[in-house]
Amino acid sequence: MAAPSSCLLWNYCGRGWSPAMLFCRLPGLRSSWPGGPLGARLLSHEKQSTETHFGFETVSEEEKGGKVYHVFESVAKKYDVMNDMMSLGIHRVWKDLLLRKMHPFPGTQLLDVAGGTGDIAFRFLNYIQAQHQRKQKRQLRAQQTLSWEEIAKKYHSEEDSLGGSHVMVCDINKEMLKVGKQKARAQGYKAGLAWVLGDAEELPFGDDKFDVYSIAFGIRNVTHIDLALQEAHRVLKPGGRFLCLEFSQVNNPLVSRLYDLYSFQVIPVMGEVIAGDWKSYQYLVESIRRFPPQEEFKEMIEDAGFQKVTYESLTSGIVAIHSGFKL
Amino acid sequence: MATLLRQALRPHRLPASPRPPADVPHRAGSHGVGLLYPDHIPTSLLQKALLAAGSAGMALYNPYRHDMVAVLGETTGHRTLKALRDQMRRDPEGAQILQERPRISLSTLDLGKLQSLPEGSFGREYLRFLDVNRVSPDTRAPTRFVDDEELAYVIQRYREVHDMLHTVLGMPTNILGEIVVKWFEAVQTGLPMCILGALFGPVRLSARSLQVLVSELIPWAVQNGRRAPCVLNLYYEQRWEQPLKALQEELGITPPPVDLKGLV
Repeated sequence: MAAPSSCLLWNYCGRGWSPAMLFCRLPGLRSSWPGGPLGARLLSHEKQSTETHFGFETVSEEEKGGKVYHVFESVAKKYDVMNDMMSLGIHRVWKDLLLRKMHPFPGTQLLDVAGGTGDIAFRFLNYIQAQHQRKQKRQLRAQQTLSWEEIAKKYHSEEDSLGGSHVMVCDINKEMLKVGKQKARAQGYKAGLAWVLGDAEELPFGDDKFDVYSIAFGIRNVTHIDLALQEAHRVLKPGGRFLCLEFSQVNNPLVSRLYDLYSFQVIPVMGEVIAGDWKSYQYLVESIRRFPPQEEFKEMIEDAGFQKVTYESLTSGIVAIHSGFKL
Repeated sequence: MATLLRQALRPHRLPASPRPPADVPHRAGSHGVGLLYPDHIPTSLLQKALLAAGSAGMALYNPYRHDMVAVLGETTGHRTLKALRDQMRRDPEGAQILQERPRISLSTLDLGKLQSLPEGSFGREYLRFLDVNRVSPDTRAPTRFVDDEELAYVIQRYREVHDMLHTVLGMPTNILGEIVVKWFEAVQTGLPMCILGALFGPVRLSARSLQVLVSELIPWAVQNGRRAPCVLNLYYEQRWEQPLKALQEELGITPPPVDLKGLV
């Protein structure tokens, strides 16, 4: 069916509203328009609010966005502390492994979606810097016959240590971005970093712009995961890579029981004691259970047009890194 | 053993309701299904134990976390609340409170009327207390973790009556005043949270305050607490016009031995 481009049709489809969706889409949105079920909805000409899940609750799609926004607004300040407490610091290892898999090089343009507090962005910048430093060391070691002046010049050179690399941190939530910016200031990250308010389902970027698209622990909170995947496909350059770090299904039955016990008994209590917020952390553990398992998510990524889709389970499947290429 | 463990892990629910299949995590929806009162969060025995321990620790670590003190009270007070509720049922004024369930908040208080009451009356003194200490009755957190809706009201009433006790005892809201009121409440109600607060609260006091506390204030609070009838049985909302002195005489409460505003 032809891709409609009027705002009115958005109305009829009863899609969840977000500020980004209020302007009309341009005609070139072939890949962003899902097929069949929407066709039926258009024909019926009435505003249907489809239902979706919010943790174990059922809510309308319009509601979900607002509720998720609310959750992250209230957890933003304690987000990093709680991450450390809940995962006993293991989330740092997971994020490091994501970067290792990404293996960026100088000049990489990264888009980190739902990257609010900047964990992935900072790691990216560190990785590039470390590479640059290693390269400099190698060069110095190789050039044994330099004069003192030339060596001094090398140390003083204003050469861009990032080599043109750039990370764009995009998040739908203002509070999370605020925390991220504060962290960047406190830790001294300035060059190669940009912060943008945006919705993963409708990114404020043109087509074919980024080398890598990453989303860490964010995609399960998106109301329409398929739209987010399609947007990811759109903004990546041909040859670009999609990387997703997300909670997934545990493959070991014993670990699974311990994990469930810990998730449902301990985590909301921790949320209440440390952050004074039981409900947000209850939502967190429930939303993890609602997210599709590894294989199913792999298929969803393939449906969005990515190829060579693979996944790697970490910590018995508590999290998984999915990777796909736009070819 | 496994069934006992599973029972400890299930959130407490009304006995008659059907149970979901074992090990399926359950949460009552926000639409009120399975909830006993609007802010109710059903918790399992293990969760209550963890909450009690965590909130006690956090309250000691950060005394400004009043919500932690409240959570501690809710998770540890089940048996005591039952005894308190039964005591209220036996007293005519208490039974009336249980039936009518009055709530104290800015929306239910008629501040204009309280302002117009004569000096020395309970209502006027209560309003003065709120003004001088810059507190409001609306800062009390709602009950969440009590799994019985009448007991939830009892603990809510206890919290809302706390400010009245400050007025009747003549204690300010600084830390020393709060500890004295906690001692009074511990003797009166027997709530584990009050007892723990009374015993561990003084940990952060200076030596001088501690000395005054132990030598004069605590004996005074304990004596008055024992002598007075249960303070939860008083329908405070019907006693605004009663002169404060008369109320204190009725409860057998003597004036405080030391003026606390100079200390701390």
